[in-house]
Amino acid sequence: MNEEIEQDWLDRRLQEAALYIQDDGFTARVLQQLPTPRPAGQFLRPFILVGMSALASSLTYVLSDGGRFILVEMFRLTTIPTLWVVAFALASGMLVMAGGIFAAMSKTSHLQS
Amino acid sequence: MELTDAGLVARVLVDDDQHAFGELVRRHQSSVRGLLRQLTRGDLALADDLAQDAFVRAYKNIRSFRGEAKFSTWLYRIAYNCFRGDARRRKELVGINEEQWQAEQDPQTVDPGLRHDLMHALSLLPLHERSAVLLCCQNGLSHDEAARVLDIPLGTVKTNVLRGREKLKKTLAVWASK
Repeated sequence: MNEEIEQDWLDRRLQEAALYIQDDGFTARVLQQLPTPRPAGQFLRPFILVGMSALASSLTYVLSDGGRFILVEMFRLTTIPTLWVVAFALASGMLVMAGGIFAAMSKTSHLQS
Repeated sequence: MELTDAGLVARVLVDDDQHAFGELVRRHQSSVRGLLRQLTRGDLALADDLAQDAFVRAYKNIRSFRGEAKFSTWLYRIAYNCFRGDARRRKELVGINEEQWQAEQDPQTVDPGLRHDLMHALSLLPLHERSAVLLCCQNGLSHDEAARVLDIPLGTVKTNVLRGREKLKKTLAVWASK
């Protein structure tokens, strides 16, 4: 019985000792740190983009006579001299390689810093 | 009519309503900051930084709150994890500086007044007992809820509360007899 009274006494004192802490701008500081909420309707964004792309593709297909210009350009490509094709392939390969080396170097320097 | 915590959480989840979250912060800031102040032994600036961090984490992870426990219990758990993470970083967890700190404290030099004595006695408790006593005796959590917050077995919480209480009673024996 005495034990229980002592426990109650201690719990009461502990609860009384927990003073209420005034906000003093704490909530405002927390709210400032929160990530910006997504604007309403943002979930529609991917659907709009896909829809517009599909519409643009369909229009292009219809207006270009069923994509006939692609066949024409492909045919023209086959008439280009072989030396030009080799030079173009070499230049493209070197450009891609340079891009890869630049990306690797910038990543390494970022990790080192 | 005032919304319940669950109602406010639902608003945050559905509408990403930051005003609703602000209301939750206003409701719980005192208890969370109070708990962290006790855990950090009165380091007000650190406690407030940790409390801010805890609330921001709570907002970011609010989808993981499933309503199985009270919102306050879930919040205490985040706050306690923030404190533990910070203590680890500062290498101040039990067994390193904790014991040294306790050795440096002279129980004879208690401040006048029960509140001061109580706070001093609390700060003398080891971290695991202090946390358990604060959660169960001061913040009114059940042993089961405290076990969830502290992520330790129920039996360990009971033992820690019992030992912590015994030590507090011993230190405050003079006040209890008044």
